[in-house]
Amino acid sequence: MFAKNMWSKFIISLFIVALFVGFSSMAGAATIKVGSLNDMTGATSDVGKDYALGIAEAIHYVNDNGGINGKQIKLYQFDYGYRIPEALTKYNLFKRLKCVAILGWGTGDTEALAPTVARDKIPYISASYSGHLCKPEKTPYNLFFATDYSTQSRGLITAWFDKKWPQKPDYGKRKPRIAMCYMTASPFSSSSIKAAKEQANMLGFEIGPDQNISLFAIDTKSQILALKQFKPDVLLHTNTVMSVAATLRDSYALALGADNLIKCWGYDENLPKLAGKAAEGAIGCAPWAFFGLDVPLMDKVIEYAKKYNPGIPLEKRTIHTVQAWASALGLAEALRRADKAGDLSGEGILKNGFETMRDFEIGLGIAPVTYTATDHRSQSVAKIYEYKNGKFSLLDEVDLKKRWPDKWANEWLGW
Amino acid sequence: MHRKSIILKCLSVVSIVVLLGGCAGMMTKPTQKNFKAPVVTLDSMEVAHAFGYWYFSKKVQPTKGKPDNVGAPLSLAFIFNVENPNDYPVKMENLKFTIAFEEFDLNTVSSTETMWIPAGKTNQVRVNAHFDVRQSLLSLLVTGGFKLKEKGTNVWAQLEKWWTEIPQYSVPVHVKGGAAVFKADGLTKVATFEATFPE
Repeated sequence: MFAKNMWSKFIISLFIVALFVGFSSMAGAATIKVGSLNDMTGATSDVGKDYALGIAEAIHYVNDNGGINGKQIKLYQFDYGYRIPEALTKYNLFKRLKCVAILGWGTGDTEALAPTVARDKIPYISASYSGHLCKPEKTPYNLFFATDYSTQSRGLITAWFDKKWPQKPDYGKRKPRIAMCYMTASPFSSSSIKAAKEQANMLGFEIGPDQNISLFAIDTKSQILALKQFKPDVLLHTNTVMSVAATLRDSYALALGADNLIKCWGYDENLPKLAGKAAEGAIGCAPWAFFGLDVPLMDKVIEYAKKYNPGIPLEKRTIHTVQAWASALGLAEALRRADKAGDLSGEGILKNGFETMRDFEIGLGIAPVTYTATDHRSQSVAKIYEYKNGKFSLLDEVDLKKRWPDKWANEWLGW
Repeated sequence: MHRKSIILKCLSVVSIVVLLGGCAGMMTKPTQKNFKAPVVTLDSMEVAHAFGYWYFSKKVQPTKGKPDNVGAPLSLAFIFNVENPNDYPVKMENLKFTIAFEEFDLNTVSSTETMWIPAGKTNQVRVNAHFDVRQSLLSLLVTGGFKLKEKGTNVWAQLEKWWTEIPQYSVPVHVKGGAAVFKADGLTKVATFEATFPE
């Protein structure tokens, strides 16, 4: 009888242990769902593809390194072909799937979804860096890990004024001359022109006639010839790479003699390939390091690129992979903080995650990140590079907040 | 009597443990050394849906609905063979690749549905890719201008050629930079693949 009892107890204990082990494994399988909206087929797919690959690789890295306080990120990544109706459809799917945050993409989807994400309280981390997305009272759930376009343009003009203008023969004899080249009808291209002109005026530039250059342009001779009369010392380009390369080529061929300042989407590893000799000396703003540069975490970016996409040669990978890592790692940090505070709701991720970051160092060559409840400009430092002798080198770091604290705090937020 | 029963029960348990242990021993355990990357090959490409070649700008009033810039869709389906050379089953977590019409990369697609492939067996996976004239037009205009010029053609001529000739399987479609992620007992392997159809 005693033995029978013992036997029953043994079997029951085994059963309990089995149940416990089973439930523990279920508990260990907790996931946090994140959506990613990418363009791998549409108008921006040349850069969008590399960004999308970077997002997936970075999430693998996060999961391999403890995830979000032990929870794994489940990534739902979709292509929307830069079609706005499809972006809205995919957004509805993300909501149905209960994604807690979305890694978004360009100006089109970001602008279209801004009111919706604010209403639904879903953090939306975009690769559109318009200054007007930085004012929380208007777009509280839009965030990004980059220098906004307006700060980029202000930084570029300031760096050229400080570093290049004093070396010109006419320095001290007259005002420097600047002109802007961009697609006037494009909200993306024109978003920072107002800030750029204000900065140029403040520094005492003479501003020439704007040149309307389509994002599809491969011939810009008429615009360059129109500028010849004004004789600019420097041009500011705010289009994407192909049309910027076309402008640089024509400017070089027609001996305009102006330096070139380029916003981040026109300044990547493909620019020298397309513009050739005309890219020499081009100055651009790059909030993250170029692919392969010696900065913290770049070894991981390369390791995961090799591991998960070995079919794509490393020389074809670009700064857009690094840019994607910054977005993914920044979001992961916000999720960790919110999870630690016990609130993974959209509002929790915003308040206990993003808005608790003060000079947070991601690595990847990006300036320290700060978000507050009243200011979503994640950084005030514009990192300015110069392309010389076949490589991109850091030329200057312009901290606009440090240099113009009053204007930064009271005048420049939100445009 | 009791003693006999206890002995019998103990013997049964020991036998079950030995049997289970034996079965487990028969299955090879995945290790970094014995985990071979599965082999992914393109079996075929199917023009799943073709609607001819056409494009309407926003200025054209449609019979119903709102005007927009729209072009003919084209749906392609890629069927891959995924062979597992290992002595144990492996899980395919995702598979992705870029599609190029001639030398122009136009689409990157992926399949994220997980699939188990038995030891030594070959599964098939179908991945659909959607194209349309409007979307490919923008992609070519923003990125392919210089290449088209060098080729001595223009964007409309190029799109018409693809939309009319791909359904006849007379233009080669390339699968580039393909990568499929496989898992076995926590270990990861990535298989790469490239292909052209028709060859």
